[in-house]
Amino acid sequence: MARKKILVVDDEAHITHVVSLKLGNAGYDIITANDGEEGLELALHELPDLVITDLQMPYMSGVELCARLREDPKTAQIPVIMLTARGYALAQEDLDRTNIKSVMSKPFSPRQVLEMANDLIGHDEQCIIEEAA
Amino acid sequence: MGRAGIAILLCSAIAGLISGFVAVFLLPMLPISSGIVLTLAGSFTLAAIVAGCIAPVLLSTGRDVIRLENQIEEAIDSGSQVTLHCGPWLRPLADAITQVQSGWTEKVSKLNTRLRELEIRHRLIEAERDHAETILNSLHDAVLVTDSFNEISLTNHRAAELLGFDTSTAARRPIDEVVHDPRIRELIKEIRSSGVVTRQKHVEHAMESSGEMGGRTSTFDVTLAALPDGQSGVGGVVTILRDITKEREISQLKSDFVSQASHELRTPLSSINAYVEMLIDSEAQDEASRQEFYQIIKSESDRVSRMIDNMLNISRIEAGIVSVDRTDCDFVKICNEVIETMQPQAAAKDIMLSMKSGPLVYTADADRDMMHQVVMNLVSNAIKYTPDGGRVTISIENDDMTRSVMVTVADTGLGIPPDALPRLFEKFYRIENYKRVAKGTGLGLNLVKHIVETVHRGTITVTSELGMGSKFIFTIPYEDPNSR
Repeated sequence: MARKKILVVDDEAHITHVVSLKLGNAGYDIITANDGEEGLELALHELPDLVITDLQMPYMSGVELCARLREDPKTAQIPVIMLTARGYALAQEDLDRTNIKSVMSKPFSPRQVLEMANDLIGHDEQCIIEEAA
Repeated sequence: MGRAGIAILLCSAIAGLISGFVAVFLLPMLPISSGIVLTLAGSFTLAAIVAGCIAPVLLSTGRDVIRLENQIEEAIDSGSQVTLHCGPWLRPLADAITQVQSGWTEKVSKLNTRLRELEIRHRLIEAERDHAETILNSLHDAVLVTDSFNEISLTNHRAAELLGFDTSTAARRPIDEVVHDPRIRELIKEIRSSGVVTRQKHVEHAMESSGEMGGRTSTFDVTLAALPDGQSGVGGVVTILRDITKEREISQLKSDFVSQASHELRTPLSSINAYVEMLIDSEAQDEASRQEFYQIIKSESDRVSRMIDNMLNISRIEAGIVSVDRTDCDFVKICNEVIETMQPQAAAKDIMLSMKSGPLVYTADADRDMMHQVVMNLVSNAIKYTPDGGRVTISIENDDMTRSVMVTVADTGLGIPPDALPRLFEKFYRIENYKRVAKGTGLGLNLVKHIVETVHRGTITVTSELGMGSKFIFTIPYEDPNSR
């Protein structure tokens, strides 16, 4: 069974690096992008199982990226974890027009990001099957 | 001349003449007996004698009356107590008049004293009123006092300016005619109709200012207090409007600053937190990864620290509590030091970093460390936003027109978009699309502007063309303008 693929989008290189490492060590395939536009392009091309994105980014914000993913039938069902340095929750209308499943505020814990990714795309099950095999 | 005296004299003379004439000429001619004639003649003669005797007495009394009248007239004119001189016939009358006059003189004197007291009191009240008006007019707050008829009894220039009326014509006019702001009228009526002299009431009210300030909406703290009418009811109402627009703006700026600062601090803190957790969870698989994590943690901690330093420095300058150590700063020396420090970074990008200056001495009375920080910041930005192989040039000139040293930091970098230029020196402002090009706190240029303009009374300007590079020019006066 193919390993699940996660797209990590953040303009802070340290953040994409640490999230990639954590999820990569847990057995996921990771692709990264530095801004919303690049993220959208990669998502449409690679069709990842999960997208983890920052909210404030140059060229295209995290919410805009998620809205565009939702509009395209190929990516409409991809769940999204949003990381934000803003001290407030996202507006309900933004949540309604996107497939954002979880919002984590910075500073975040890579451990919790991994747990949430496991919850959303059932990697635990996959690992157990692979380990058993 | 007394008319009574003349009348008495004339009567006496005429009576004597008529009596004599009748006795001597008319009686002998009448057809009556000589006995009767004699009797009548005797009577008339007696009457003439009596009239002749009484006439001088009447004459003298008439003169006395005239004299008395003149004395009374004089006494009235002088307003003082006088002794009346007259003959014995009129003495009782003169004494009575003297007594009455003495009573009146006392009353007039008392009334005069009272009048003087009232005049003094009136002048004092007028002076106090002028005093109160001067105090009211010197206030920056608008004051409006209405009486129990809802008419304006006291106000000041600021109220007139704010509410758009004329102080000279507003007195004693109903507020409905004078004050055009319906909310203020309503508030005054509300407090009056409450019928109780309660504690002060505060209301925040946004209003468009009239007069010079016209067109700008300001926020006011309206204080209303009911004045007692002396019968446990509400007499007048005092309304005070204090402009709190500035306070609100400052409070908003502060809250924005805190919100932005915490947002900006979250990003490096987030990295530190994540990498520390990775180390705890033994996610670094080898020593090299561990070293990489340590480096990231260190550099992100430095970033937080720089941000906090910048924030504190800006706050200190804004609060006017920064300590400035002015010396005769040699700008050539400072720029050379900066070039020496930044040379490795420039070399890493193959950027030519150089300085141009004439043979003159370029010194100004300034804080050396701050000047170093300004040049360092501008050169560091220039290197960050200039692609590999570019040029960064510092030039120093003396501008004798403005009596300032002028330093220019020019680069051949990305340039600044025209829409970003006006916001470039704002706190936390970063050109969105350049965030990826280089890291920054978003506070550097704000600090530079504060050091140059707020602390040293110099100027800083920027010109730029997209894709062609940018030019930052700052000037520092030769002498501290505050010391002159």
